[in-house]
Amino acid sequence: MEAIVALNKVVKDYPLGKLTVQALRGVDLTIAPGEFTVIAGPSGSGKTTLLNMIGCVDVPTTGSVTIAGRETGKLKDRARAKLRLEKLGFIFQTFNLIPVLSAAQNVEFPLLLHGRLGTRERQRRVAELLEAVGLAEQARQRPNELSGGQRQRVAIARALVTEPAIVLADEPTANLDSVTGLAIIDLMKEMNARRNTTFIFSTHDEHVMAHARRMVHIADGKLAEDRALAPPAATAEAPEPGATP
Amino acid sequence: MRAILKIAFHNLLQARLRTTILTLVLAGVTALLVVMGALSQGFTDTLRTNATALSSGHVNVAGWYKSKATDAWPLINDVGEIERIAKENTPGLDYVVRRDRSWAKLISRDHSFFVSPSGIDITAERRLKSILKLAPESAYKDGGQDAPVGSFDRLVEPHTAILFASQAKRLGVGVGDYVTLTSPTGSGRTNSIDVTVVAVARDMGMMSNWNMFVPSADIHELYQTADDTSSAVMIYLDDPTEAEAVMGHLREVFAARGYTVMDHQPQAFFFKFETVAGEDWTGQKLDLTIWSDEVSYIDFMSTALDSVTAILIVILMGIIAIGIMNAMLMSVRRRTAEIGTARAIGMTRSGVLAMFVTEALLLGLFASLLGAALGALLANGIDAAQIQPPPMVSALLMSDTLHLSVDGGQIVRAVVVFTLVTGLAAVSPAIRAARLEPVTAIHHTS
Repeated sequence: MEAIVALNKVVKDYPLGKLTVQALRGVDLTIAPGEFTVIAGPSGSGKTTLLNMIGCVDVPTTGSVTIAGRETGKLKDRARAKLRLEKLGFIFQTFNLIPVLSAAQNVEFPLLLHGRLGTRERQRRVAELLEAVGLAEQARQRPNELSGGQRQRVAIARALVTEPAIVLADEPTANLDSVTGLAIIDLMKEMNARRNTTFIFSTHDEHVMAHARRMVHIADGKLAEDRALAPPAATAEAPEPGATP
Repeated sequence: MRAILKIAFHNLLQARLRTTILTLVLAGVTALLVVMGALSQGFTDTLRTNATALSSGHVNVAGWYKSKATDAWPLINDVGEIERIAKENTPGLDYVVRRDRSWAKLISRDHSFFVSPSGIDITAERRLKSILKLAPESAYKDGGQDAPVGSFDRLVEPHTAILFASQAKRLGVGVGDYVTLTSPTGSGRTNSIDVTVVAVARDMGMMSNWNMFVPSADIHELYQTADDTSSAVMIYLDDPTEAEAVMGHLREVFAARGYTVMDHQPQAFFFKFETVAGEDWTGQKLDLTIWSDEVSYIDFMSTALDSVTAILIVILMGIIAIGIMNAMLMSVRRRTAEIGTARAIGMTRSGVLAMFVTEALLLGLFASLLGAALGALLANGIDAAQIQPPPMVSALLMSDTLHLSVDGGQIVRAVVVFTLVTGLAAVSPAIRAARLEPVTAIHHTS
C-alpha cells in the first residue's frame, strides 16, 4: 500500500540567536493510510516539530516530506494551505476553537473555507459529526460554555468534517483529566475504525500511548524506536462518547 | 467569503466595548460630515432661491449698449422682440420677466449709500413675491410695532419702492416715507427721482445690502430710456439644472438671428462695467448668463464652507484611521491563536487579510449608516427649528434662519467614503496578520 505520509531524511533547524537548534536530525518515516500512530517522546524531543512537518504548517530545512503524494517543500504557501484544507485535520492541545463561533459553526468552518458544499450538505455533515462525538445538544453553545472534554470533541468533529486523509493531534489529552483523555482517545480510535482515517498523535502519557497500534519514539530529534503495539485489553474506565466529562 | 463574514460579524459582537467606541466615534464624524454638507447644500439652495428671486432668472438674456466706445450701459433695445424669441426657443420654460438694472445713490434725510435698484413689474414677479416677507416695523424703526406694515403689491403705483429692513434702518425711514434715487444718465446729466417706501422686506443676507425694487417705469424715468428697452429678460425654467444647457441653446438661437452675443463671462453684470467700457465697439451686444454667474462673487462662502468641512473631516478621519489601525493591531495580537488555527485548517494568507479588512468594513458600514441617519435627523431638526444665527452669520448665509438641506447623494458619498477609510485603515494590521506563519501562530497559542 502506498504511504500517505513519507518523510525522507528530514532535518529541521531553528535559529536561536547566534546558535542553530536542530529540532529534527534526519528522520525517515512512512505511515500507511488508516494507521493509528502515536509519536512519543519526552518534552523537547521534536514531536511537535515532526507533527508540524507532517501537517504542512512548516517545511524541512533539508530532506523531504511527502503527503498524499505531494512533496510539501516544493509547494507554494497557497498550495500548502489547500493541501491542509483537503487532506489534513488538526486537533490541538489547547483545542484552538474559534471563540466567537458556536460549536456547530466551528465544525462548519473548514467546510466554508472549502466552499464546495451547499448549505444543506454542510449542515448534514456538521449534525452527523456532532452526533458522533456526542455533542448534538451543545451545537449552539460557544466554546467558553463547554467543558475541556467537550471542546476537544468539537475539535475532533472539526478535524473530521472535511473527511481528511490524515488527522494530526498534538498532545490532544494534555489539558484533560485522565478519564476524559482516554474518552477522547477512544473517540479517535472509533473514528479511525469507522472512517479509516489515518490518526497521528503525539503524547508522553504512557496510558494514552498504550491505545495506539504503532508507536514512533523520538529522542533528540531522531527516530529512536518504531514498533507495532498490541491492542489494549479494555478501557473500562472510559465513559461512552456523549457523556459530559 | 461566508466564513470570513461570519467570523468578522461575530468578532464585532464579541468585542462589544471596542466596537461600541469605534462605532460612536465613526458615527459622530459621519453625522458631522452630513450636517456640514447639509449646511453647505442649504446655503447653495438659499443662494439659488434668493438669487433667482432678487437679481437673476435661471437664464438671463441681458445686454450692453454703447453709443460711444467708452460707454457701458446695461441695456437691450427692442426688448419685446428679444423676449418673444426667448419664449419661443426655451425648452422647459416656466415664465419670463423683464428687469431694469441700475446703479444709483439712495438718499434719505439722514443717510445715503449706493444700491442696485431693479425696475420690475411686481404683478409678473411670482418668485420674488413668494420669497419676500414683510419685516415687522420694529426691525427697522425705533418704537415701531411688531407687526409688519405696508404691502408689496403697492409697487404697481409709480414712484414707489421696496427696501430691505437693514437699508430702511440705515436710512432712518419707514413705510410711507420717501427716499431719493440719483444717478448719472447717458446724456451726462444726473437725474433724481423721489420714491415712497411702500414695503420693507425682511433681510435676506448680504444681498439685501444693495438690492431694492422700484417699478420699471421709475428706472426709465431716472435714466430717460425708452419703454421698449430693458436690462434683461429673465427666464425661469421648470428644471433649473437645465440652465446651462438652455443658455448654450439660446446663444446659438440669438446668434443665428443676427444678434451679436458676447463671450460667456461667469460674472455678475455689475462687474462687467469696466470691461465693457474698455472694449472698442459701439452698438448693441447680448450677454447671456445663468443664475450662478450672477452670484459668483459670493461663491467664496460655499467654497469656504466646503473647505472647512473638508479640512475638519480629513483631520478627524486621520485620527479615526489611526484609532482603527491600533484597535486592529491589538486584535491581531489577541487573535494570533485564531489566525494560527485558521491557517492550519487551510485558510490562505489572502483569507486572513480579508477576514480583518471585512471586519473593519462591516464596522465602517454600520457606523457610517448610523452616523448618516443621525446626521440627517439632526440637520432636518436644525432646519425645522428655524434657528436665528448672529447677524454676521446670517448675512453670510443669505438667510435670517439656518437652512440645512440634506442631499441623498451626499449621504451615499459619506457612507462610501467612511466605509472605505475604515477598511483601508485595517489593511496594514491585516497584512501583518496574513504574514504570520501558521507554525509561529500555533506555537504562540501553545
